[in-house]
Parts: sequence; structure tokens; C-alpha cells
Amino acid sequence: MTGIAQKLASNQKQVAISEFFEKNKHFLGFDSLARSLITAVKEAVDNALDACEEARILPTIRIQITKVDAQKDIIRMIVEDNGPGIPQKSIEKVFGQLLFGSRFHAIRQSRGQQGIGITGVVMYCQLTTGRTTHVRSKIATEPTAAFVDIGLDTRKNKATKANAGREIWYNEDGTGKEHGTEVTAEMKAKYQKGRQSVWQYLRMTSIVNPHAEIIFTDPDGERHHWTRVTERLPTKVESIKPHPHGIELGQLQRMIAESNDLNLNHFLLNNFSGVTNRARKELCEAADIAGTRKIKTVKGDDIRHLLEAFQGERVYNGLPVKLLKPPTNCLSPIEELLIKKGLSKTIDSRFVSTLTRVPSVTQGNPFQIEVGLIFGGAMAADKPVEILRFANRVPLMYQQGGCLLTKAIESVDWRQYGLDQAGGRGVPKGPAAILVHLASTNVQFTSEAKEALADNAEVMEEGRKAMLEMGRGLRKHLEKKKKMAKTKEKFELINDILPAIAKKSAEILERPVPELSGSITKIMSAVICETTTEWNKQTKHTDVEIILFNYTSRVRAYTILATWPEKSGAKIEKNGTGGRKEALGVWAWKLESLQPGEKKVIAYSLSGLERGDWTETEVLFRGTQDVIGATKMDEKFLQEIRRQEQIMDENGVDSPEAEDEDEVVAEPEPEKKEVPKMPAEEMVEPTVAPPEGQRTLFGGDD
Amino acid sequence: MSRTRTAEETKTAMHKVVAEMYDRIVKGEPPTMTLPVRTKTNIGFDKKLGVYKYGKKQSVRDATSLGSAKQLLRTLHVVEFIEEMLDAGKSSTLREMYYISEGWGMGKFGSQNDSNNLAEDLEIVTKCLREDFKLRPEEDGARMIGNLTLRERNRRGEWMRINARDDVGDSGYGVPYNVELEKIELLEHDIDFIMAIETGGMFDRLIENGFDEQYRCGLLHLKGQPARSTRRIMKRMSEEWDLPVVVFLDGDPWSFRIFASIAYGAIKTAHISEYLATPSATYLGITADDIVAYELPSDDLSKKDVEALNAELTDPRFADSWWQEQINMMLELGKKAEQQSLAKYGLDFVTETYLPEKLAELGLA
Repeated sequence: MTGIAQKLASNQKQVAISEFFEKNKHFLGFDSLARSLITAVKEAVDNALDACEEARILPTIRIQITKVDAQKDIIRMIVEDNGPGIPQKSIEKVFGQLLFGSRFHAIRQSRGQQGIGITGVVMYCQLTTGRTTHVRSKIATEPTAAFVDIGLDTRKNKATKANAGREIWYNEDGTGKEHGTEVTAEMKAKYQKGRQSVWQYLRMTSIVNPHAEIIFTDPDGERHHWTRVTERLPTKVESIKPHPHGIELGQLQRMIAESNDLNLNHFLLNNFSGVTNRARKELCEAADIAGTRKIKTVKGDDIRHLLEAFQGERVYNGLPVKLLKPPTNCLSPIEELLIKKGLSKTIDSRFVSTLTRVPSVTQGNPFQIEVGLIFGGAMAADKPVEILRFANRVPLMYQQGGCLLTKAIESVDWRQYGLDQAGGRGVPKGPAAILVHLASTNVQFTSEAKEALADNAEVMEEGRKAMLEMGRGLRKHLEKKKKMAKTKEKFELINDILPAIAKKSAEILERPVPELSGSITKIMSAVICETTTEWNKQTKHTDVEIILFNYTSRVRAYTILATWPEKSGAKIEKNGTGGRKEALGVWAWKLESLQPGEKKVIAYSLSGLERGDWTETEVLFRGTQDVIGATKMDEKFLQEIRRQEQIMDENGVDSPEAEDEDEVVAEPEPEKKEVPKMPAEEMVEPTVAPPEGQRTLFGGDD
Repeated sequence: MSRTRTAEETKTAMHKVVAEMYDRIVKGEPPTMTLPVRTKTNIGFDKKLGVYKYGKKQSVRDATSLGSAKQLLRTLHVVEFIEEMLDAGKSSTLREMYYISEGWGMGKFGSQNDSNNLAEDLEIVTKCLREDFKLRPEEDGARMIGNLTLRERNRRGEWMRINARDDVGDSGYGVPYNVELEKIELLEHDIDFIMAIETGGMFDRLIENGFDEQYRCGLLHLKGQPARSTRRIMKRMSEEWDLPVVVFLDGDPWSFRIFASIAYGAIKTAHISEYLATPSATYLGITADDIVAYELPSDDLSKKDVEALNAELTDPRFADSWWQEQINMMLELGKKAEQQSLAKYGLDFVTETYLPEKLAELGLA
């Protein structure tokens, strides 16, 4: 919201709403009739998802689009959720007030970084159709739902409300609705199909919100149902304070102006992440301001000097002041398994690989890249792959070519991983879809339209690394498929064809059927590994069975290693063959001797997973003789796992101040966001209590 | 010269093949079938027989890959099927066998070509003929016209005397698939040579022009790559009546191959070359120099044509200097010509000018 807020803040005149809209419609998301509808749906659905997430409710969202007047392009949108609901007195504030600036202090990953929220939709409807937006909402503690029509007075630039009342809210099946919100809006808009459509937006939303159930009824009356594939809500994100590396002058000025801190020392320690006591001292010296200066007296050039100290332009002892990295627990990645589920439920395919990189930092802002690749199945093999871009779980549907996430995909030579790509550049072709998600506290866009991510070397590098790793996974999968086909052939040979040859030749010669084991050993002349990974309905576990056959004439010895999703919380159970943990998500068993003709079975179950979470176990081996059906252990692979493990452990340590040596000033506890007692209140918190000195579009303070 | 074997001999020969597989399994080895390499790298000239035969290179088909193993299983099914036919006194076409294989489960053929090749494999290894196996080819034999008389035993077992000029219509005498002694006897003739012709159009042209009577010859329509029975009857006429055989084909690399299979033996049937090939046959035309000498309308060689010509250069059957010269000349020209391109000079040119000139070179006209 920063961009719009600043624009408005710098404008002393009261802005006429219609003029404001007309001037800014391209970045408000209302620049075309088709896009306006998507934006409206997006704002309503984002609100619903956010409210449910805050209240820890598994969302069920119904969206209905109907054509009211096809000739005049009037469309009605109804979005209903099962969120906590909004108390009656807050409804008009949520829907009728445009507020900016409230989130400056709350640095965290949030959906609401785009557009101006649902208020924009109310404005758009009023301006294009002259109609108000009908809102109905019910909270669990009240017996009835509140309803009201929200509009705006374009002459006075004020929000209006009318026809307020209360009613009993019945569900379709006649039962009473417990809680939720429903928005009915009529606007000038066009419903269209294809890559840039409401359908695509909802489909993408469902991929990255696997915990949500989304039911969409399109203008033709057709129902699209994206089911909920996990009961797990996204992890609750912690707010963090801004990091000095990521701050701009205007923001610093505002923070200082609003500060209640005693002096600069307190201000620096209380309001920033990554500033230790040592750093606090050094920053003051670099900025050439006494730490004991009253904060109200820090003005003008002082602020600029402080910013220069933040950015390392002013130095301490000839060096920029060292700051700790910001904590990364403010990010809420979707996580590998859930992306996998989201993709699998939406796109029919044969292979899904997902990857969540460990968090990283750019310009004081923590970020994290997640990627997913889905391959095979019904997707077209001769078309460019489908690219699914997301920023903080919000689908990006426009300006694909100019987006950093697309560039990260294009920077990889996909030919080595089994996809077509002319000249090894550009968007690859093949039966695949590639998902990229950037989770960040500060998503940088190329323009106010907020549809394409701006270039950033660190984010690009992370994205590229993720692609490479995923590409390797795809290649391995394709190689494995080939090998499996070969192994299958061999098994057909020894299980079906060879016995038939023995039987038939014996019949023709009228001799006894010969014993086959000798021939089988000679034909296979290999150690073969067969792996099955299956969901067990009874135990709700994932059963894994690794079978090794020694079809050679010698005794063999191996260490067999198998992957399991430890990161996602899976535990190995009923592992009768013992072994030990080799690394994060890698278990190892030592097979001292596998006699010629011997078969050994390693069987275990994985608990803590849902159906479909884990469908393919990768089996690796250490040993001299090749094992068909398993991959030779690449020790680099283990090193990489251990490296990631280490990074994760480091991130797990919550106190960045640990390395601090001197204890002069008592460290204030990092301010943790309180879990709200009233979820409904919490959801509207930013709009209910606008900080002093800030204004709304609806009735400014002039 | 008949090489027909009795049912018992055929069975014994086939059992050897089966026993090779069986014994290997008993020894704890993958079952195998050993057979000569069937490419041009393994054919050599047999001085005693005057034809090209398979050399000593052996390939072993063993059951270590699924494809080979299936091939062995099919072989066993074929052996069993032939034994059943031998016992029941029946015969079948190769195509029928292909369809019968539908019931062989894992041993069924993938294509008709598979079953043809396998029948040949079995002939080669057992040194039997497919007639011994009671397997008939689908393809029909050649047509013949000319003043020659033979005796054919018909379906009712009666011998019929047929003169291939007086007792036949315009399509001539149809050569049956079996031309062995028990079926065909060559009685008498009043001709000076036999001319084998590639295309039906040219065959009909020569008949219409009365070429067979004027030049006292027997005309034989090859129908492209000649069937075994066609080659066999040419061989018999050439040997039993001591008649020269001249071969009149298109002027392209594929015609050269047809000639090689008539005169020297085909690569696919090199195991029975001495039985099918006519070493005394002469290539009459169209030669590469004919294209130039007669200024024949010609087509450019295709990529495949060039590949075929190059392959022929290293084929031992074309190793003599005349063939090398012809092949190189055609490559140099980059052209090929059809028999019927002679019509450029009128319908009678072939019978009045071209053939008489070519035959004169051979002392046949």
C-alpha cells in the first residue's frame, strides 16, 4: 500500500473519489472490464482467506458470478465465506474506509499488499453502476446476522450506509449459518475465460491455499469445486520490526514523528530488528548524534544522517555498522508437501516435485522462494509450460514476461532436465507447469500494477537455484522411469517368458521341465531393488517396502538409504530392520550380506502424513555393484542436505542478540503480536483504529 | 534335384534347435539359438556351387533381453505348430501362421514380417525348406508365356500337360508356389532363351508385339522382387533345358538387387542360394550406359537411391568390375530410368531396336 499512501499523503487537496479512481485505475486493478471483475473477486477472496487465517478457521469460500445485464456489461458478484464475521459496527469501516499507513510498523508477510482492498470494489461498483454493495455478516456470539448497504457519496466523498438491519441467516440446506461474511456487489465488468480469468485466479488461489475449499459458480451456472486437501492452516506469522537496511527516508521520518521513545538509544533498540546494543552505539556515532538526544529533537539532517548510517554510507571506525540479519520467522511459506497437494489436486499429472528454499535476506527484508514442478499427464507436450507465479500466496496473472520469477525460470537450461527449450533460453516447452512463490515481508513490484516482481539479484539467485534443484529432480524421475521400464522387462523375462520357454521346450522334447534358477541369475546378473510407497487406509500411515533381490552369483553388501519427508514432520514407525538416521530425511540400513538368489525386505511405515503426501520414496545405495532400481549415493547430495539442515537449525535460534557482548541497556523483549481474543475484531484492527494524524479517503481530517 | 525331407527328418532337425535351448537351461545358462549372421557382411562366393552363401559368422540369440527371449519362445511355438501340421498332413500360409499366433499368448508375433523372418531363421538353422515345414508363401509366383511345355499336378492329383503359348490366355501360365518335381515336370520347349521382365507393363508390351515368337524366347514376369518359386523355376529351366536367362529390369539400384538375387542369391535366402539362384543369368538392361546411349528420360536419384548404390559398392555380389563401373556411373549421372522410358521413341522401339541390339551383344539375336 506504500505507493498509493504516499501519493495521497503528498497531495494536500482532498481528492475527488471519481477523479482518484480514474487517475489510478491501472494500478488499482480496474483498468479493463475483464480485469475489474478479477480484482473484485480477488479483494473479496483475499479478505475471506485472511480473516479465516487470523481466526484459525478452515475457509470455505463460495463465489458466484451472474450476468445481470449482458448488453450493458453489468455483473453481479457474490462472495461468501465461513470466516469469523464482522461485528455490526465495524462493517462500514471495513468496507467503506480507505486507510493507509497502518501497516508500516507491522512488517510481515501479508496478502493485503496489493490494491486498496475491498473498499476499492465498493467504490468501483458505485461509480460504474451507481449501486451500493450489500454486506451481510454474522459472528458466532450473536444469534442474527447484520446487514447493510455500503456506498459512497461522490459529491461529499463520504461513505454512506443504508438499509441496515438484522436477520437470521440460513444456509442453502436451511440450517442457520454460524458465522461468516457475504458480499454482493454489482459492477460494470466482463466475464471471460482462459489464462486471465476469475476461474484461473481461483484455481491458482486454490493451489497455494490447499487448506481452503473454493466453490465457484460461473455465469453459465457451472460449478467448479476445488476441495480442501489439508486440515493444516498456514503457520501464523510473527510481525517483525523493520530492519535498518530496508528502510526509506519517508518511513524513518514518520517513525520518528510517531515515536514515544525517550531518546534515540531507546528508539533504535525498540523499533528495529537486527540492531544490537553494540550496533546501537555504533549507529549513533556514525550518524554523529548523541544516543541520549530526545527523540523529538531528531529532525531534518539528523534523520538523513541516521539513514546514511543505516545504509553504511556513514561509517564507524572506517567500516559500515554491522547489523544482524532480520529474523525469518515472519515468513509463512506454503511448504513442499502442501504445494504438492495443491498442484496435484488442480492439475492431473504423473510427477510432482516441490521445493522450499531456506529463508534468505535482501536489503533487510527476509524472503523465501518456493517452487513446484508438475510433469506429464494430460498437459500438452508441444506448448510452453504453464507458469504459476505467486507473491505472498497471491496469484500474479498479468505481465508474465517482465516478472523476475519468469526470468528465474528462463535462466535455466531446461534441456538438460528433459524439457524442450529453443536455444536453452526462454520459457521451456513440455507437458509441465512450473510454480514459483515468493514469500517476503516486502515484495518489490515493477510497477504499481503489482503484477510483476522487480529485478533483485538475491531473489533471482535463490529462484534460479531452486529451479536447478527441481530440474535435477525431474531428470532423476525421467531416468528412473526409463530404468524401471527396463527392470520391468527383465522381470517379465524371468517370470513369464523364461518359464514358458522351459515348459514348451520340455514338452516338445518330452523331457522334464528344467530348473530355472541358474538361468535367471545369468540373465539378470544384477542386484535389483523394487520400492513401493503406499497409503494404508487402516493405519493412516504411509507404508514403504524396499525389496532387494540378488540375481548375481556372488554375495553382495550394501548400505541402502531411503528418503522420507522428515522436514514435514513425518516419523518412521515399525522399522523392523533398524538402521540409523543418516541426515535430515535420509535413513540408512546396512546389509552385511545378500546371498546369491537371496531376497531381503526393508519395510517401515511413515506416520504424521496425510494421504497423497508421500508417494515416491527415493532409494539410494552405497556399494560397488550397481543396483537396478536405486541410485548410487552421491555424497554431495548428503552434504547439501546437511548444509540446509544447518541453516535451518541456525534460523531456529530465535534470539538474534545472542552474540551481543556488552549489556548496557536492558533489552526490551521482542514485541510479539498478541493472539487476539476476538478474531473478528482482530481482522478489522487496521481500519478500526487509525493512528492519529492519518486520514481516510472517506472523509479526511481537513 | 529335390531336397525335400520327410516329416521325421524335419522333426529331428527342429528338435536340435529346441534341444539347444533346453540344454542351456539345464546347465544354468540362458537359453540360446545359434544362427548365421544374415547380412551382406556374412555372405561369400561358394566356388563349388557358383552362388553366394552364408559364411561362418554366427550370431547367438540369447534370452538375456526381453525381445530375444520372446523370439525364442515364438520359435518354440512355431516348431510345435509345424509338428502338428506334419502330423495332421496339413499346410498353412505364413499369413495364416501369423494369425494363428494370436493364440500363443506371450509368444505371439508382433507383425507379419516377424513371422516370415522366423520361418526363414528356422529354415537356416535346420537346413530344411519351408516346404518341409508345410508353410506356404502368400505371394503368387510369376507369369510365363512362350513355347514351352510342362506338366503340373492339379488339386485332384492328376497331371495336366500345359503349353505356355497355346494353352494359356493373355495373362500366361501362372507359376504355383511349389515348383518341385512332385508338382511340376518340365517336358519340352522350342525356344532359345528365357527373358525375365520386371514390370507387368513391359511384359504385356512384348507379348502384344509378338516378341516371344519372333525371337523364340520364353517371357517371365518377375513381379518386382521375385518370389522363391519364380527364382526356382528359372533355375530349373536354365539347368534342365540348358537355356540362357537374360534379365530385363528398370535401371535403378533396386533392379540391381533383383538381379543379384536371381543370379547370385539373395542375402535373406543365402542358405538356399544353390537351390534358387541362376548363376548363368545375364543383366540385359536398363544399364547406366543405356541411359546415356539411348538418351532415356530419367529421374534424379533420391537420397535412398544413393544410399542403396553406395551399399551395393561394398556388397560382395557386386564386386566385379562391370558392376562397380555401372554403379559408379549411375552415381555420377545421378539419374535412374524405367524400362518404359524406352517408349520415348515409340511403342515398338523396345522390340524393334533396343532389345535386338542388346541381345545381339550377347549373341542371342
